[in-house]
Amino acid sequence: MTKHKSTAWKLGAAALLSAGLAGSAFAADKPLAGVTLTLASQNDQFAAVIAKLAPQFEEKTGATVKVDILDYGSLLTKTQADFVGHTKSYDLVTMDIVWAGQYAENKYTVDLTDWIKRDAAELQLDDIYPATIKYIGQYDGKQVAFPFAGYAAVMAYRKDLLDAAGIKVPETAEDFVAAAIKLTDPSKKIYGFVANGQKGAAVAQDWLQYNAQLGGSVLDASGKPALNSDANVASLKVYKELFDKAAPPGAVDYDWGGREESFRQGLVAMMETWSVGAPGYYDPSMSKVVDSVGISFTPVGKGLPVKYGLGGWGMGINADIDPAKQEAAWQFIKWLTSAPVQKEFNMLGAGSYIRKSTLADPDLNAKYPFLPIIAKSFENADGDYRPRIPQYPEIQDLLGTAVNNVLVGGTDPKAALDEAQKQAEKLF
Amino acid sequence: MAASPASIRQRRSGLRFTDRRKLFLFCLAVPAVIYVIVVALYPLAQGILYSFYDYNLLRRGGRMVFVGLDNYVELLTDATGQRALINTFAFTFGAVFFEFIFGLGLAMLLWRDGRFNRIALAFLLIPVTITPLVVGLIFRALLAVDYGYIGYYLAEWGITSPRGLFAGTTTALPTLIFIDIWEWTPLVALILLAGLKSLPGDILEAASADGATAWQRFRLVILPLLLPTVFLALVLRMMDAFRVFDSIFVTTGGGPADATNSLMVYGVKQGLQFFNIGYASAIGNVTILCIAFIAAVFALLIRRADVRANET
Repeated sequence: MTKHKSTAWKLGAAALLSAGLAGSAFAADKPLAGVTLTLASQNDQFAAVIAKLAPQFEEKTGATVKVDILDYGSLLTKTQADFVGHTKSYDLVTMDIVWAGQYAENKYTVDLTDWIKRDAAELQLDDIYPATIKYIGQYDGKQVAFPFAGYAAVMAYRKDLLDAAGIKVPETAEDFVAAAIKLTDPSKKIYGFVANGQKGAAVAQDWLQYNAQLGGSVLDASGKPALNSDANVASLKVYKELFDKAAPPGAVDYDWGGREESFRQGLVAMMETWSVGAPGYYDPSMSKVVDSVGISFTPVGKGLPVKYGLGGWGMGINADIDPAKQEAAWQFIKWLTSAPVQKEFNMLGAGSYIRKSTLADPDLNAKYPFLPIIAKSFENADGDYRPRIPQYPEIQDLLGTAVNNVLVGGTDPKAALDEAQKQAEKLF
Repeated sequence: MAASPASIRQRRSGLRFTDRRKLFLFCLAVPAVIYVIVVALYPLAQGILYSFYDYNLLRRGGRMVFVGLDNYVELLTDATGQRALINTFAFTFGAVFFEFIFGLGLAMLLWRDGRFNRIALAFLLIPVTITPLVVGLIFRALLAVDYGYIGYYLAEWGITSPRGLFAGTTTALPTLIFIDIWEWTPLVALILLAGLKSLPGDILEAASADGATAWQRFRLVILPLLLPTVFLALVLRMMDAFRVFDSIFVTTGGGPADATNSLMVYGVKQGLQFFNIGYASAIGNVTILCIAFIAAVFALLIRRADVRANET
């Protein structure tokens, strides 16, 4: 009996020691085990890729990442309601470049400035395009989001149509307009140009792009709204001319889906778009222009400074959640934006770039021949042509109504922008 | 001392019974009253309060600044607000008018009992069972000029603008009215049919025996007797039509420009997109006031029609 008891105790002690060691090893391997991060993600190309890669982060850290994919309007409304109500539904939020002002003013997300300094070596900041850090997430001295998806405004075109017409790739906005009109042949259902015409965010964002290329600006030098400046009125006339003479009839009601689809289906000769959609043009399962598509810079007006539109998304950390979870969310951001993950991210079609090494990667360049265009665009980037101020959503809405009104023939450019200006002034 | 113990006991028992009955009924009513207060009256009062403040959750840290009637003045003087009001009235009266005419016609046709009529009624009720949001999506797809089964051919044959019905400032609202008529006419027909079936048969037979023509029977007998049901159908449809949102949201988003912007579309944008709570509350309150006003006018008109019918 005595011997038996002694043996039992020894076995018990050994078991406890083993369990203790195992637990310690487990803790060291999976520092974030048990943590679930909920991410509110825009339904751009990167969303599905993040959802696909998330298990890798879980394998590495133990944290589960739940990706809630939302359309633009729902994402904005849901996340704002979450912030305003302090309901902590989301830990991470994909933040549109233009929301930075609102996020900073209302302190929705954690200011990442100090964390970036602390982890600078790990982040390899030198490898990240300064424009993406500056514009995507930096406002009024605060870094309210970290860039993970940089987009360049680019021009997509059908080489075959331009070649057949003897037209070289437009290098100025004036050439672009002339080429678009010349390339239009409604009898063959071929149109020289397509852009968003739908009332709201769609038409506003597209017009703002063309407006910037033609020398227009939404704010004056002092930061006050100047929606009805002469340059803006002139560019809106050009935009309307393009819709009347060079766009598919249904374009006045297109949003990004309609615009991209009409180009991918080969109805359109030239289109300005975010680079994120470009991988889709080379995908035979959804594109009819795989062999004829070309990507180039967005042409600016003759004599104007050469700047290219920068857009995209940063990842913000909800300021309401507890510090431990914030740290876990930051781990996710560092992982997602690391060089190896960024490469895999984009090999899977995310179309989202922030790193020089990613854009220079030979495998990615073999797959997507337009990467040098993005690289040069990021080096001459303008991320403020859509002003990243707290009032931007309202201004976008005003322009969305005004520009759409002009496109459908309801009013003339100056009257429309005068009305929008009057409303915009109330916001300041 | 004069009162006997039995008498005293009886009196107490009687009082207790009455009190217990009142208490019981009170307890039965309390949950319902609390529910109405919490779910309906409190939010309504809160909305009324907010409408007198400049209250934006995204500005000034969400602080409320009293502005009196400024929000209402803004709504009534702002071009967008005026357009929303006009559109909502136009949509409501346009849709309800035709729903009533067609609904009454359908009800008259379906009045006679029979297998065909019962089957037809069942099929007619299908649109009513589809949520307005889905109906909007269905018509958006059908009427699209690029790929819609109807829209493509209408544009191809030159019947409609190449840009589509929803992209025309003069065609978008009528198209939405048409969609509403398509969906809700059967409901009006159903309500009116119920009213018709409840009409006393002997009066109709008497009128027929007296040599009244079909038109005379309709105008002098059927319609007057049907007035309460007509009122019910009109008010129910009007209340819903005035708060139109789903079908507009998914088809036009209030566009093109502000051609189909309704009070509810405008209010939802201000309240849930820009978090401009004060202004959105004012829009909501104006919507309720308009509905109450129109219902009151309907009531007066129906009553006047009833009086006139009785005088005849």
